Amino acid sequence: MEIDRNHGTSSERSLVARRWFLQQCGVGLGAAALAAEFTADGFAGERGNSESLSQEHVRPLHFEPKAKRVIYLFMAGAPSHLELFDYKPKLAELDGQLPPPGLLEGYRAAFINPNSRLLGPKFKFARYGQSGAELSELLPKTAEIVDEMAIVRSMVTDAFNHAPAQLLMNTGAQQFGRPSFGAWSLYGLGNGARDLPGFVVFSTGSKGPSGGNSCWGSGFLPTVHQGVTFRVGAEPVLYLANPPGIDGAMQRDSLETIQGLNQHRLSAIGDPEIATRIRAYEMAGQMQNSAPDLIDLAREPQHILDLYGAEPGKSTFANAALLARRLVERGVRFVQIYHEAWDQHGNLVNDLKKNCKNTDQACAALITDLKQRGLLQDTLVIWGGEFGRTPMVQGGNDGRDHHPSAFTVWMAGGGIKPGLTLGSTDELGFHAVEDRVHVHDLHATLLQLLGFDHARLTFKFQGRMFRLTDVHGQVVKKLLA
Amino acid sequence: MRGFHLLLCRVFLAVAAVAVGPGRTIGAVDFERDVHPILRARCFECHDGRRQQSGLRLDVRSRATRGGESGKAAIVAGQVDDSELIRRIATSDADLVMPPEGERLTAEQIRILMDWVREGASWPDSLANERSIGDHWAFKAPQRPIPPGAASSLIEGTPVDAFILERLNREGLKLSPPADKATLARRLHLDLIGLPPAPEQIDAFVTDPSPQAYERLVTQLLESPHYGERWGRLWLDAARYADSDGFEKDKPRFVHFYRDWVIQALNRDLPYDQFVIEQIAGDLLPAPTQDQLVATGFLRNSMINEEGGIDPEQFRMEAMFDRMDAIGKSILGLTIQCGQCHSHKFDPLTQQEYYEMFAFLNNAHEANITVYAAEEAKRRAEIQLQVEQIENELRSRDPDWLNRMAVWEADQQRRRARWALVRPELDSSGGQKHYLLDDGSVLAAGYAPTKHSTEFSVKTDLQRVTAIRLELLNDANLTRGGPGRSVHGLFALTEFKVQAGVNDDPKALSDVKIGRAAASANAAEGELDKRFDDRSNRRRLIGPITFAIDGKDETAWSPDIGWGRSNVPQEAVFVLEQPQELGGKGRLTFRLTQNHGGWNSDDNQNNNLGRFRFWISDDENADADVLPPNIREIVDLPREQRSAEQQAALFSIWRTTVPEWKADNERVEALWKSHPPGTTQLAYRERSEMRPTHLLKRGDFLKPVSLVTPGVPAFLHRLPEDAPRTRLTFARWLVDPYSPTTARAIVNRVWQSYFGMGIVSTSEDFGTQAEPPSHPELLDWLACEFMEPTMQLPSASNTPWSLKRLHQLIVLSATYRQSSRVTPALLAADPENRLLTRAPRVRVDAEIVRDIALAASGLLSREIGGPSVYPPIPAFLMQPPASYGPKAWPEQTGSARYRRATYTFRFRSVPYPALQAFDAPNGDFACVKRSRTNTPIQALTMLNEPVFVECAQALGLRTLSEAGPDDKDRLGFAFRQVLGRLPDEQEMTLLSAMIMRQRDRLQRSDADCWSIIASRPEDYRRLPNSCTPAEWATWTVLARVLLNLDETITKE
Repeated sequence: MEIDRNHGTSSERSLVARRWFLQQCGVGLGAAALAAEFTADGFAGERGNSESLSQEHVRPLHFEPKAKRVIYLFMAGAPSHLELFDYKPKLAELDGQLPPPGLLEGYRAAFINPNSRLLGPKFKFARYGQSGAELSELLPKTAEIVDEMAIVRSMVTDAFNHAPAQLLMNTGAQQFGRPSFGAWSLYGLGNGARDLPGFVVFSTGSKGPSGGNSCWGSGFLPTVHQGVTFRVGAEPVLYLANPPGIDGAMQRDSLETIQGLNQHRLSAIGDPEIATRIRAYEMAGQMQNSAPDLIDLAREPQHILDLYGAEPGKSTFANAALLARRLVERGVRFVQIYHEAWDQHGNLVNDLKKNCKNTDQACAALITDLKQRGLLQDTLVIWGGEFGRTPMVQGGNDGRDHHPSAFTVWMAGGGIKPGLTLGSTDELGFHAVEDRVHVHDLHATLLQLLGFDHARLTFKFQGRMFRLTDVHGQVVKKLLA
Repeated sequence: MRGFHLLLCRVFLAVAAVAVGPGRTIGAVDFERDVHPILRARCFECHDGRRQQSGLRLDVRSRATRGGESGKAAIVAGQVDDSELIRRIATSDADLVMPPEGERLTAEQIRILMDWVREGASWPDSLANERSIGDHWAFKAPQRPIPPGAASSLIEGTPVDAFILERLNREGLKLSPPADKATLARRLHLDLIGLPPAPEQIDAFVTDPSPQAYERLVTQLLESPHYGERWGRLWLDAARYADSDGFEKDKPRFVHFYRDWVIQALNRDLPYDQFVIEQIAGDLLPAPTQDQLVATGFLRNSMINEEGGIDPEQFRMEAMFDRMDAIGKSILGLTIQCGQCHSHKFDPLTQQEYYEMFAFLNNAHEANITVYAAEEAKRRAEIQLQVEQIENELRSRDPDWLNRMAVWEADQQRRRARWALVRPELDSSGGQKHYLLDDGSVLAAGYAPTKHSTEFSVKTDLQRVTAIRLELLNDANLTRGGPGRSVHGLFALTEFKVQAGVNDDPKALSDVKIGRAAASANAAEGELDKRFDDRSNRRRLIGPITFAIDGKDETAWSPDIGWGRSNVPQEAVFVLEQPQELGGKGRLTFRLTQNHGGWNSDDNQNNNLGRFRFWISDDENADADVLPPNIREIVDLPREQRSAEQQAALFSIWRTTVPEWKADNERVEALWKSHPPGTTQLAYRERSEMRPTHLLKRGDFLKPVSLVTPGVPAFLHRLPEDAPRTRLTFARWLVDPYSPTTARAIVNRVWQSYFGMGIVSTSEDFGTQAEPPSHPELLDWLACEFMEPTMQLPSASNTPWSLKRLHQLIVLSATYRQSSRVTPALLAADPENRLLTRAPRVRVDAEIVRDIALAASGLLSREIGGPSVYPPIPAFLMQPPASYGPKAWPEQTGSARYRRATYTFRFRSVPYPALQAFDAPNGDFACVKRSRTNTPIQALTMLNEPVFVECAQALGLRTLSEAGPDDKDRLGFAFRQVLGRLPDEQEMTLLSAMIMRQRDRLQRSDADCWSIIASRPEDYRRLPNSCTPAEWATWTVLARVLLNLDETITKE
């Protein structure tokens, strides 16, 4: 939907030429022609309006894509794998004892003295579904859809402070300045929505993510690929509402006059960029019309609201999850919900209860709802944080410190093998030992599901080709359906 | 659909073939222009002199024709089918296709390579065989070319035009006709000062018949104080300037002195070489001025991570890498940050060389210095002078003062207690990190909790302990030098507690009662600064040292005795009620409770100790000589060894003990009370002790490999042989006239801001992977003329490295003065305008978008410099969950609401949305080329964002107050304010019609006119006589339309 003027090179040249072609060769600047041209990032003209996957992409696909869109439920702050997904009876047994010697060699902890007592899991686990996946009692609703999920219990990362780890998880690098996974997705696939941004971000936790806006930034990619933050509330997009006193008729008249004057200027000056501006205003008007409806959850039937536990008007995770579905239905490529609430250095038991109460039902509902609409098969849903938590206690007996050597994420839909539990950690949940999946491997796998070879979805900047996985990453074939 | 897709592609290919770019005509492939860029971009990563995968090199002719290990010749001149290179790029076999990573070569690229091979695969002799890649054009210092002769045929031709025309002539093209004068006036204003001209300014220029009118306008604008604001902003991008720390805390920081330094340096046209030297090593210049210290803020614009649980050294190294990156991009025009992990893949920069440059920078304190505005500095000097006068007066009043002071000194020494330094075991349980320094002191760093207690434990072989001394020390890494960590470099000690035990058993400690305490400085009892409000509604106090032993959480000891003299070493002595017998195997624990911070640990609200040391005594009279530690040191120096300053400092303490000088002492106190607060600025200060620099394995600060010493890369120019290996030498090296890239990089960026694209389009990278320059000789001529002026310009001095002069060289050219009209023929011949067949037509930068609306509406405040300001922002953005922590955003109400956008407070993690929408970078890293997008979010911002709306209201009101009475006059007035020209007939018709329609609607009784025109209560009072709310609302709606036009935010 947006045009970057200065960035492209050869594609940019052909874009300018193409705009000129449209204008001069009688195709004109009618809404229809432009809609086709501007649906994505300006390169979409060759693709028509088809919904079919093969024509939706912007960069050449390297594989048959399994997923067309992504919903990433980012559990910022780092949820405890030991209380949610990774049951460790041995840890329960050794509760209160010091970790075995040797385990901590070369280990750095953020806050605690690593040689702290072990803390047994605080909640009961059971097996669910046909797959028999083991889950905590805190996740009763997730347990109902467990056969749709692939749980990866063997995630590892390189960082153990929040901001760098969140950046690594979102951009493939601990340093600021790299494009986010969402931005790469948009760069590769373009936007599928006519009147909405292609990458939408919500924040519903008790605070914003540690990595800030850079978690959904575009880095050196054109800024059109960065995430646009939406709010669950009256004005979902900043500055969407008309100023006070300006009613619909006045706004229409104003926009028409702006467009008329811009059109007049275009004919005098001939700069195709004016045509782009005209289209941008047209789309802004469309967004003003469509976004309030989109965001209005009261339009959902009661049983859907109940399914998610959504309550129109509230700024909750459940509402954002339901909105995510409404957004991807309208062609939005990538939705990310940050729920920053999981940093349980203390108050582990009560906070986990609260966090799961706030998220478990809606996560499960999202999967159920996508499935019943036939969307799950090509929508990739990801749940996870930036690292795990120590088997060792922090404070008295109700907290855990940051831990990069093992954590859990789960995924569903979009070509993910359902009913799978991949990998395992050692008997204390300290190290991932079997089928270790590094953040770069996860990224490589996710890109493959979107149709891209992670080593070949690149962008040249500062004299070298950059990619989401830097120089790393192995596709985890076991995760693919 | 597929068919449609392919058809369309073919059509576009046909269009593209005509428009493929500068000078490419079908059938004549040029190696340097067409072939080399493809090989360089897509093949050399694996097949150049450095890597030679499969034994293949494609960077030189001799090796490419020979082929690699396969034995197949990669290129056989004239034989497309026999050339392995062609086979591998064209194959459909995914296992064989080259390059193996990234996208396939495009059909056009493949065709170019095939044509080239077919035509005989000609290579320039310079690439005939294995030669050093260091021959890359940008690695050789620019040599001044002679401008081609074409210029002479031009009436207003300058050397710049000569180069441009020479290329145009070659392509059979010419410049567009000059733009009209009104357009030129607006263009010049937007380019040189970033503000649109007032209609009167345009009139003055348009009606000035003098041939010098244009030059005069250029000179006038370059002399404008707004020039520094406009061009300073571009440097601030490169300097990654922001007003906050970044990372999760993203606390506000105090760096606007650096921002203002940049603006003022440009306004006074500080030569660029000096401009760079001061930013890299201003602190190492002889007797550096405050300005020169402030300039080193460039190096401190890196982010700071103070999230809990971090290792501060890890993030100091991240900041070091960031500094290297910023120097590479903004000064050298080179990509060097790959060197932190490995040698550069394409350019001849080794990892070793990267760390050698790094070593120049690695020996500094992360300082936060006190700085004073000009009037504050004046007041401060006055106070110092007056205090000095009073002290001189005292000395002359009592000629025996020296002897009396000596008696006092001797008394101090006689009362000196025995003290033993104890080195504590460290505690970081509160999340704050503590370093134990060589002198036994503890330095606090990293996360700064606002309320916490820490325990420091020591062992001692003393038989008994009678007292503990807590010594507070300065440290260059603390704000204002400390001794505290608060935003003022101070602290408040809520409570000091001691536990003691024998036999070194940590478990067997018991509380020890403190009987009395004394300190070398005590704040007057008073309320805690509001900055540290903890929202508890308690009355919290600071005051004398007794507050640290009163057992109350509301009271704390503070050494704050006012601005100008509190950031000095102090001490407090705690005398135990009963001596503790420890039997030579004692253990003591000191508990420092620091609960006088504020409620928000994500803001600058800590009030913690910064650097401190513990001493213990077994002396009965341990508190008999409480003195500031630096004064005690002076007392111990024999008088003849003291400096004049030391002697004066001693006198200042001693005189306060002289009873008959009470009145004079009070006069001095009163003077100090009037001392200005100043503010702070992050700065770089050299350490006295050398910090070793290591090459780090993959850039990991925990994996040092080998020691390195300061040095520069071999492929660049040399360091002067006899120069000391200091940061100052490095700074001078950066701007050495022999530097191949420094002048080219800045000249290119200035060019880029005028023409939308640099002569080298990859302005951040002049290395071997850079796009070749569109006008290489022009680039070199500009670089040389910049460093060594030869041309006589109308009003510029002939100072080397003068940026103002560089601007003149460019804007006086006919190339700059062309019309920006785009015709189909021009678009076809020069689609990207690389040849400059017309003036660029580009949307202005984010800040200027805002400034144009402010200026046109008359709201703009033209105040220059000062702390950053807070125009309206949606409040939720600064609160969780939009922000990690709650951020203060005290929305401005007066004229500060309408300051230029450059002064808007920049939080890195929550960028100001109206600027972010227009591609303003957020300062996370150096940016030398902004993206330029055109989006619906921009449209929504200009239509609905409150400041834009207020601009529409103000312009509506201005139109009614200042323009003639009829619609035509008013339309013309408003239109000119915004666009600098009068509307043409059709524009007038469109706008008049809208005015009529809206007036009809708004005059109806149910129309909500007041909502449209009055954003704020005070607006209700602003309606001029004889003007109805409906009329103001009508013109507000009209103004909003004008402010939203494409032309409004475009440099034509």
